[in-house]
Amino acid sequence: MYKEKITSHYKYSEIHIEETRFKAFNKDTRSEYSFRVYDGGYAGIQLIQGSIGEAEGFRLAENNLALRRPYKFTPETGSRHRDQSEVEYSDKELMDIARQTLDYLKTHHPDYIFSGDVSTFRKTLSMENDLGLDVSNTDAKISADFSFKHKDSKDIMDGWFSFSKRQFDFEKFKETADNFLTNFTNRVELPEELIIQDQYYSYIGKMWETLNAENLALGTSLLSGKIGEKVFADGFTLTHDVTDRESWITPFFDGEGVMLPGDKYTFIKDGVLLSGFADKRIADKYGVPHTGSANFCTADIPTNGNINFRIERCGRTVKELLDGRLTVVPIMAAGGGFNEKGEYVTPVQTALLCDGERLLGRLPEFTLKGNMFDMFGKDFIGVASDEPVFNDKQILMKMQYSK
Amino acid sequence: MYKFPEGLYSDIRIERANYASYRVQNGEVMTNNEVPITGAMIRVFDGKMWYTGVTNDLDSIQSELDSLAAVAQPDPDILEHPAVKLYEVHKAKVLRFEGDRDNRKITREQREELVRGYIKACVDESIPEIRQWYANYHQSHVVKEFYSSKGAEIVQDFQQCFVGMWYDIVIDGVTTSGGKHYGFMDFDELRGHQDEIVAKRDRYLDYARNAVDVTPGDYVCVLAPAVTGMFTHESFGHKSEADFMLNDQTLRDEWVMGKKVGSDLVSICDSGDMFPHRGYIAYDDEGSAPRETWLIRNGVLTGRLHDANSASVLGEELTGNSRAQDFGCTPMVRMTNTYMEPGDTAPEDIIAGVRDGIYVYDVIYGTGQATFTMKPAICYRIRDGKLAEPIRANVVTGTVFETLFNIDAVGNDLEFCDTSTCGKMGQSMPVSDGGPTIRVKSLNVN
Repeated sequence: MYKEKITSHYKYSEIHIEETRFKAFNKDTRSEYSFRVYDGGYAGIQLIQGSIGEAEGFRLAENNLALRRPYKFTPETGSRHRDQSEVEYSDKELMDIARQTLDYLKTHHPDYIFSGDVSTFRKTLSMENDLGLDVSNTDAKISADFSFKHKDSKDIMDGWFSFSKRQFDFEKFKETADNFLTNFTNRVELPEELIIQDQYYSYIGKMWETLNAENLALGTSLLSGKIGEKVFADGFTLTHDVTDRESWITPFFDGEGVMLPGDKYTFIKDGVLLSGFADKRIADKYGVPHTGSANFCTADIPTNGNINFRIERCGRTVKELLDGRLTVVPIMAAGGGFNEKGEYVTPVQTALLCDGERLLGRLPEFTLKGNMFDMFGKDFIGVASDEPVFNDKQILMKMQYSK
Repeated sequence: MYKFPEGLYSDIRIERANYASYRVQNGEVMTNNEVPITGAMIRVFDGKMWYTGVTNDLDSIQSELDSLAAVAQPDPDILEHPAVKLYEVHKAKVLRFEGDRDNRKITREQREELVRGYIKACVDESIPEIRQWYANYHQSHVVKEFYSSKGAEIVQDFQQCFVGMWYDIVIDGVTTSGGKHYGFMDFDELRGHQDEIVAKRDRYLDYARNAVDVTPGDYVCVLAPAVTGMFTHESFGHKSEADFMLNDQTLRDEWVMGKKVGSDLVSICDSGDMFPHRGYIAYDDEGSAPRETWLIRNGVLTGRLHDANSASVLGEELTGNSRAQDFGCTPMVRMTNTYMEPGDTAPEDIIAGVRDGIYVYDVIYGTGQATFTMKPAICYRIRDGKLAEPIRANVVTGTVFETLFNIDAVGNDLEFCDTSTCGKMGQSMPVSDGGPTIRVKSLNVN
């Protein structure tokens, strides 16, 4: 019998702001333990939140062997510890930063109403077993997330902006806020050519479904039968990337303790589909490579799907990729999404015209449409090397207007 | 019990939750677990700011309360604060799910037997287009205690059980996913829905085989009752939550009581006191009793949803709508059971009155800005008053300022959906949406 334990400690502090006023100071500190025993091809697992003795936790996990949850794989080994946190802010420092940001917004953008949070989050996730696995990942961030609405607006909110990094940078925060708000009331026309500039997370949402190795094997993915084929553009490379640069509160190991060589796995290389993602069970069942993709299922055996998707950046800046063209930055685009055919439609409630770096004015509402194969294929422009507007990676791609 | 600090309003919310899940995918048991979670939120209010702490160590509640009080600034007149004055003081124990109803007494064998019964009845291996199927069971049971420095002492419970089947249907390389889930408060109510699930599975099969892409544009739309429920929640329900307008004169002017906001046919109500619907609460998470609140009566704005703070700022009555997802979340203004009142028109007559339009039969999710959206699961074309071919559409949208005026028929077939979950500012909340078949003169379908 092997014993294994996953431990999570997190600490969250937040200054909550409602309609440009401080509303609350909230703190949340919690610990969670997943006790796991493996014996005879089965796993017994017990999740505990709060304090518990180790012996008692493993005793409860052993009791759960009776559930005969199948798990035939040998636990991982190896030792590694990574701490990417840079600053630990005290409550007073957090309050000072919240005051500083809200004062700035009130003073420089008095025509807007702001709600949101200024918060710190610190998390350590560790995993150890009696075969010698001993890994931990620590990271921490500070965030200032604000929604805003113009005082004359009849909507609940008009948009949002965010600053989230490992260290607070007031100058960067001011620059971000000013960029979103300075020209917000400047009404401009939709450009004829629609180039979207945005953080890419929501656009690659369909990849969770299409790159799941089980879906690929069963024929339920739009990419089934296309391994080895060119499905997207030359410059489109999609990876699971938990390297130091691309991790963001993301551990370098998965829910089975797997550490990937180079902390990276490539699913699509220059548009060619190489493989889907698989945990050990899916890899074994369908005879495909396992890709370090097990979720941290603290109450049960692992499931497939712990991915830190990253589209590889090209070596050019946003401005260089645009070469003088203007972009559309959707900041509120709720509803719709991809359908089963990979077609993407969403109403864009708020969007801004952009020269790649500076936001130039507010656009009329419109409906955005595209198709997964075009968005990452012929219409894909690239993910730039720099991070203007959002302080984060962003995609540039052509899309279309819909009626 | 707890020693509340002087000069501050304080409350403590303790939750003891038990969850169980059992999930089978293509014959393989994917989930079979039971998870207990216990924790508490402690809040202190000094008249200017709230200070809150969360712990899953119940022995630390008093020390947490003391440490929060130490950073607050006591106010000897705290009880005169307008919001604090509104906090109700109930001493009550409302435990509806004790004894035989208590789903914590449901054994693993009972859960597995229930799911196996659904698999036997609802999985047909002879349908080659069904490549994957999922049988899901989930249950929750929560006991909540609430104590306040004003003297409130409330113990209440809530539970739900869910069962359902889901299918991945592949036609010409395109996967359509669909199925049906049932949610009830009592385990025994989950039995006997096999025929309805098979009917829904077959409807999805027909949709997957025959759906044609919608031509984007504006259409007369008839919404099925489940869709009207979500439409009611998204199009207007979120605008009735008062916490977004407290310091916003534009919105206060826009949503002034007595204003005509929809057609005479539209009446919308929210009530947390509707047992056994999913948004039921005995008391809200500030200790207030839920009320029946008519938000719109015959097209006229008549009410909105409040917590104590919003009610005090706007000078309106408490409605008992302060809710938190769990002990880790601060309460905010949320809907409970929200529904559009039925009319007297038969649903078939509503469809018969449409020469060319779209019937939105089922919906996946929605969003609730001024421009609201719904993502439909299945739609049908209406031609000459009759349902025609299934339509594949990605989003149905409109603006709240126009759409409520565009409702020109309201059916007599009120239904509630008791599997809905509402998201707001990162918190997920069980709610029930209800409504009858309605007809809207124009919605954009894309």
